[in-house]
Amino acid sequence: MALSVLAYAAIILFLGLSAYKAYRYAKMPLHGRMELYPVPKEQGHEYGGSYYEQVEWWNKERKVDHKAELIDMLKEMLFIKKLFDNQKPLWWLSYALHLGIYLLIAWTVLLVLGGLTLLAGGQVSPGSGIWGTLLFYLTAFTGLIGLLLAAFGSAMLLLRRFFDDTLRKYTTPQEYFNLVLLYGATCTGIFVWIKDLTFGTAREVVANLMSFTSFEASGLLVAHIVILFVMFIYIPLSKMSHYVGKYFSFHKVLWENEPNLKGSAIEKKVQQALARRPATTWSAPHITGQAPAKE
Amino acid sequence: MIKQKDLRPKDLGRPDEQLIKVESLMKLKPPYNEEGMEPPFTEPKQAWREKYCASLDGFVGIDKLTRPESKEQEQEFVRKFLNGLEKAFTDANSGVLQPFLLSFEYCAKCNTCSDACHIYKATNGNELYRPIFRSEALRKIVKKYFTKSGKLLGGLVGADLEVNWETVARLGELAYRCNLCRRCAQTCPLGLDNSLFAKEIRKIFSQEMGIAPSPLHEKGTMNQLKTGSSTGITKPVFLDTIEFLEEDIEERYGLKIKFPIDKKGADILLMHNAGEFLAWPENPIAFAILFEEAGLDWTLSSEMLGYDNVNYGIWYDDAQAKKIALQQMKVAKDLGVRRIVIGECGHAHKASAVVADRMAYGEDKVPVESCLPLLWDLVKSKALKFDPSKNNFPVTLHDPCNVVRQMGIVQPQRKILKQICPDFREMTPHGVNNYCCGGGSGFAIMNSMNFSEFRNKISARTKFNQILGAFQDTIEEADIPKYVCAPCSNCKGTIRDILEYYRVTEKFNVHYGGLVELMVNALVSMNKPFLEFLE
Repeated sequence: MALSVLAYAAIILFLGLSAYKAYRYAKMPLHGRMELYPVPKEQGHEYGGSYYEQVEWWNKERKVDHKAELIDMLKEMLFIKKLFDNQKPLWWLSYALHLGIYLLIAWTVLLVLGGLTLLAGGQVSPGSGIWGTLLFYLTAFTGLIGLLLAAFGSAMLLLRRFFDDTLRKYTTPQEYFNLVLLYGATCTGIFVWIKDLTFGTAREVVANLMSFTSFEASGLLVAHIVILFVMFIYIPLSKMSHYVGKYFSFHKVLWENEPNLKGSAIEKKVQQALARRPATTWSAPHITGQAPAKE
Repeated sequence: MIKQKDLRPKDLGRPDEQLIKVESLMKLKPPYNEEGMEPPFTEPKQAWREKYCASLDGFVGIDKLTRPESKEQEQEFVRKFLNGLEKAFTDANSGVLQPFLLSFEYCAKCNTCSDACHIYKATNGNELYRPIFRSEALRKIVKKYFTKSGKLLGGLVGADLEVNWETVARLGELAYRCNLCRRCAQTCPLGLDNSLFAKEIRKIFSQEMGIAPSPLHEKGTMNQLKTGSSTGITKPVFLDTIEFLEEDIEERYGLKIKFPIDKKGADILLMHNAGEFLAWPENPIAFAILFEEAGLDWTLSSEMLGYDNVNYGIWYDDAQAKKIALQQMKVAKDLGVRRIVIGECGHAHKASAVVADRMAYGEDKVPVESCLPLLWDLVKSKALKFDPSKNNFPVTLHDPCNVVRQMGIVQPQRKILKQICPDFREMTPHGVNNYCCGGGSGFAIMNSMNFSEFRNKISARTKFNQILGAFQDTIEEADIPKYVCAPCSNCKGTIRDILEYYRVTEKFNVHYGGLVELMVNALVSMNKPFLEFLE
């Protein structure tokens, strides 16, 4: 019962805190333009071009290629392309972790669907119809590969950070903790579920958690679930919430090049931003208008 | 002194007379790989150490950052810095708050950015110049003083940097070891920007503490707001200069050209970096020849700030940047021109078109565009007739970071060069992946104490190697002139200094200049070479 409450609380807090973080960034004042080319939505993005390459660009139709932007975004989200392009040795490890996490997210969704199927009186096993069979194999695949990749990736990133002289200089104990937490969650997962790689037990546990049904849990299972839920709550509070930050750093900073043209939506925002008087001001003499103290 | 490879951000406050020394430099390409081809480093003078902050790497960039005379002054200095740092996270800094917080919060310290930095590369990976070194030092101070986790958990969350005068002063100097070229941000898997930390530290020093290098502030933006130009050229001097240029054009080329000045309702207000009038008058002359031959309706302005497109504020002080940008806009508005065209000055491109884009709205704004698409349009439309054989010598192109990476203007300048220079060759890498000339963000005009040595040997080193690389086939053939085309005043200044420092022009016949000079040189109508080295 307590685990069910914790499960719901962890998920709600994960989503709520992540959404709050995104809201906080979204509500920040309009900033100056800081785009950096190539901007994928621009015509000529293949070589880094922009609308500024046209004479009298403000009189030309603004062509924005949202498809190219989406493709670039997906490449970044699904494959961490920039890391692949610029630091391949690290990409293998980082991608193992991230792909593992993506698979584990899919696995969790499949477990929930499986749990719901069980609660509805259905079966999840080979030969139990298309739905049950599909859930069975997909859950086994995503769970097994996901756990292995995430455990491998987090362990390797941890070791790399620990044994690489440069990375060690810049890594704080808290940042080691982040990786240990990821490793702990996936590693305990492996130990808990290794006895049943069909994840039938996991599905039953999820069904019990969803329906607030008491069930017998070993010490290891409790430890795994608690670590997992602590991780869920901790992630949005830490810099591991870069899934939120990355959206803003690309879409609202590096790729945001909307010109402030008369009658545009951005013009209204500029107008509002310029009307706002800051509560805090800078103090240097050339700003306050006071004469500087003599040297 | 610490060995650079052992240096950590938390060492910034150590009491050493000098934290590190630059001992290893990237090897230059032939013929500069030979012993004795490169002038050695000089030792900083003891007097500089006593007066300024030479305790970072032995270079002094901020001539207004002087050592305190009492404990009280020292405490006041640290207090002011911390005040400013706190303000950087408030609405006083709203124009950059979101990008700054993102970069502050999310860096994974994966070090992908390091290899993108030309200064880090030029010093064979000196730890002090690693892009995240500066950021991490600032992060540690913020955590220590302004976060609950830092106050409670200290070193566990990285709040372990001792803050004293030396720490703050070194951080101030370190902010001037980054050209703000943003090449590192291009490679960051999380889309973060380490140059923002350098810029924010510069801003805290200027906007809160009133400390900035005098070439940028006193002799730069303050001078510009007072006289009309960072060069100190006043309206009468500007008008005299124009008269002199007109005489020069007639005398040299037999052309009678009258520069249109303050022409109300003109189509184009052409704004030059006023440094061109003094250091490279051939550049505004070339623009005038091209615009007149093409029959454009254009004008220059003689009003305050109208004849100088520079805006050094964008490198260190948002308030100064805004004052200058708004006055420049007003000049165009009052003249009633249809558009502002920015001449060959990279940072002025970005300042006027991008940074100032959200400083005003509606009727106060006049559209701004780069001269490069307009020049390409003149070539493409055959409004000008060229004879490319007049430019039959190796030419390479330096891409100003502000024009390519920060504005996406990549093709027009190349298309022009491909049409008018039969022996055009690219640098590697180029376009949006270019390397900064090494003079970006003010370095080109900062020559206090030994700072020019930092520029010539370190920040401009990667560019120098690119130039050597582009001309490898002919570099040692001194009878063949070679031309580095740099359509930006600051880049030109830096390249001029490199060529002088390494005696490249003298030994290997390598020259530099803008794009319009090459265009005029190739004009069919010109009856003698425009480029002096061809005479």
